[in-house]
Amino acid sequence: MQTDVRRLNRWSWPFIAANTVRALLIPAVGAVVASGGVLLTRLDFLSLLFIVPAFVYAFIKQRVYSYQFTQSELVVRDGLLTKNVRHISYERIHNVALVRNPIHRLLGVTTARIETAAGGKPEALLRVLSMDAADELRRYTLGEKRQPAETDSPEARAAVAPLLQVPDGELVRLGLISNRGFIVVAAVLGVFSQTNWWNQDWVKDQDWLSITTGLRAKAPDWAAWLFDSGSLVGRGLLGLALIAIFLILLRLLSIAWYLVRYRGFTLRQDEEDLRAEYGLLTQVSSLIPVHRIQLVTVTSTLLHRWFDRTSIDVETAGASTGDSDLSGQLAASGMSTTRQWLAPIVETERAAGLVHRVLPEVDIESVEWQPIEARATRRIVNRVAIVVAPITIVLAVVLTFSPIPLSGWHALWLPSVALAMAWLITRRWVRQAGYALTERAIYFRSGWLSRRVSVVRFVNMQTVSLHQSPFDHRKRMASVAVDTAGAGGTGHRIRIPFLDVDIAGSILQRLYAETRSTEFRW
Amino acid sequence: MNDHQPTDSPEPTVEANQEPPIAEAPAPSSMVDGQEHHVDRQSVVVARIIGLSVTSLIAVVPLVIITIGLALGGIPAAVYFALVGCWLVLTSLVLSFAYIWPAARHKRLHYLVDEGGLRIRRGVFWRTVIWIPISRVQHTDFTQGPVQRRFGLATLTVHTAGTAGASISLAGLEHTIAARLCDHLRPDRATDAD
Repeated sequence: MQTDVRRLNRWSWPFIAANTVRALLIPAVGAVVASGGVLLTRLDFLSLLFIVPAFVYAFIKQRVYSYQFTQSELVVRDGLLTKNVRHISYERIHNVALVRNPIHRLLGVTTARIETAAGGKPEALLRVLSMDAADELRRYTLGEKRQPAETDSPEARAAVAPLLQVPDGELVRLGLISNRGFIVVAAVLGVFSQTNWWNQDWVKDQDWLSITTGLRAKAPDWAAWLFDSGSLVGRGLLGLALIAIFLILLRLLSIAWYLVRYRGFTLRQDEEDLRAEYGLLTQVSSLIPVHRIQLVTVTSTLLHRWFDRTSIDVETAGASTGDSDLSGQLAASGMSTTRQWLAPIVETERAAGLVHRVLPEVDIESVEWQPIEARATRRIVNRVAIVVAPITIVLAVVLTFSPIPLSGWHALWLPSVALAMAWLITRRWVRQAGYALTERAIYFRSGWLSRRVSVVRFVNMQTVSLHQSPFDHRKRMASVAVDTAGAGGTGHRIRIPFLDVDIAGSILQRLYAETRSTEFRW
Repeated sequence: MNDHQPTDSPEPTVEANQEPPIAEAPAPSSMVDGQEHHVDRQSVVVARIIGLSVTSLIAVVPLVIITIGLALGGIPAAVYFALVGCWLVLTSLVLSFAYIWPAARHKRLHYLVDEGGLRIRRGVFWRTVIWIPISRVQHTDFTQGPVQRRFGLATLTVHTAGTAGASISLAGLEHTIAARLCDHLRPDRATDAD
């Protein structure tokens, strides 16, 4: 069985173009800034650069994009020069979400998003189809799996109470907590360095000296000394003030970044899975398949705790989505993996409850934490001592033979301060670290200023291992690690250090028994 | 040492050194015994052959370079002999390491198979014990290099859906054992057995 080749609706081009223009918005703003605002006066040029290509692209896309139903799979063809054919078997299709805004409704069309169980980005995006075509698509791909549900209309969706909604105020807090300002600064610096702004006339022509003297003249009496070139204190304060302004600016940029990126973050139950929707300019709607959650991490940094908030992220992994360009490089390794927010920010008291609602077998609040070995403190401090000792000796020699009027004995300040601090910090770190085993999951927490708790359900464990360095061996200690799917990149994982070797062995036995008795499913 | 007919089981006389009494090549039927085993002793020979040939190949390069330097008159004879002396010392160090290391590694490599999976314990200085449950095995590979084939050995590789432990190899198994383990650790078999 094979149907005719189907094409996109004839009203597709304005939607594709609008989407492209939206994607080009940030580069366009960048270009305007880079041109020093000149581009704003040349709207013809601006449109030629950004809007015309978007429409040309849209017309071509509407022409070349086609799809077809076969017995067992949906075949999507795309591309003008490089032809791209994607086979998506019906079995793998998890949902066909229809997205409509008022303009879609006016024209009686819809955007159809084909989602596979891999989660993350959609497998294919059909922009746009007539309602009949969308019905046909759902009929073929979902079969009896799901009746064309009404829940996709925004009204019906809104009726389902979300698990989490992040208001703007919370995003402002998030911006203050996590320093994303540097991303914006890096981007801005990139633009500046591209454009040689310091070489441009309007920068060079400024009389910087007269600006400074002007400021000085205008400054009130009590502040005049700040500009006195002789005053060391004044310069220091000025420097500090500049640093403070820079830091405040960074935080403001950070807040702006979060507001743009995560505006209206909403986490909802979507059938048995979760859906996160967010974004001011680029609206993201991403599916989080609950049974593919491999690891949950709850983060609370020092700043988080000041605001009494935490962040929760999950690591999902799924079987490869084929040669899909959407699932990116990881498709090559046979797996698609993502670390995404379950909650970018949430009140600390609600965090455990949220995780528990999503994964009923995980309950962070009620676990009994087991400590790691207190002996670890001495080992870590010893490590610091090994690093500090040669530095101290070098410092002592330098002090003795240099013209600095300090005796070599002063070098001893370094190890005493360093070791005292190391001991204080390490002791707290060791007390904070811990692990817990429950009926269904293993928990690990660590960190002193930035505290993290990670949970892996036994079903999601792959291999379990015990590691012993020569030093571990001497002190009869070992660490236990749990491997999960899609644990690429950095991030907090289950890797419990400084355990007594016998305890480590029994943990390993227990975990192995648990993996044996559970079945891992993709 | 005929290829493909490893009926010649490792002679016990060769094995009668100070090693702990660990069964070397159990009968295939008793493979899944929950006991720790060493891989085949011949794997030390294989690792030595490969290690020594690779290191000597690499070691020859600097010698050739300085000899050419001498022949073209770029290097004085005295310097040349000093360099050759250094080369001799370095090369003998590397070669003796390539000879000693496989034996040390073999001594510290144990595997255990039970109904539920495979356990590998290894590491001379940094030691690791890794448990691979059959229920997490995606697939298994059986590979034989040219040198391994001459000695009737094989490498078993177990693939899981994990990341750090995505593929775990156990080299130097007697090839019939490797094949049996390959079969035993296949995930579909585990579900059949359940």
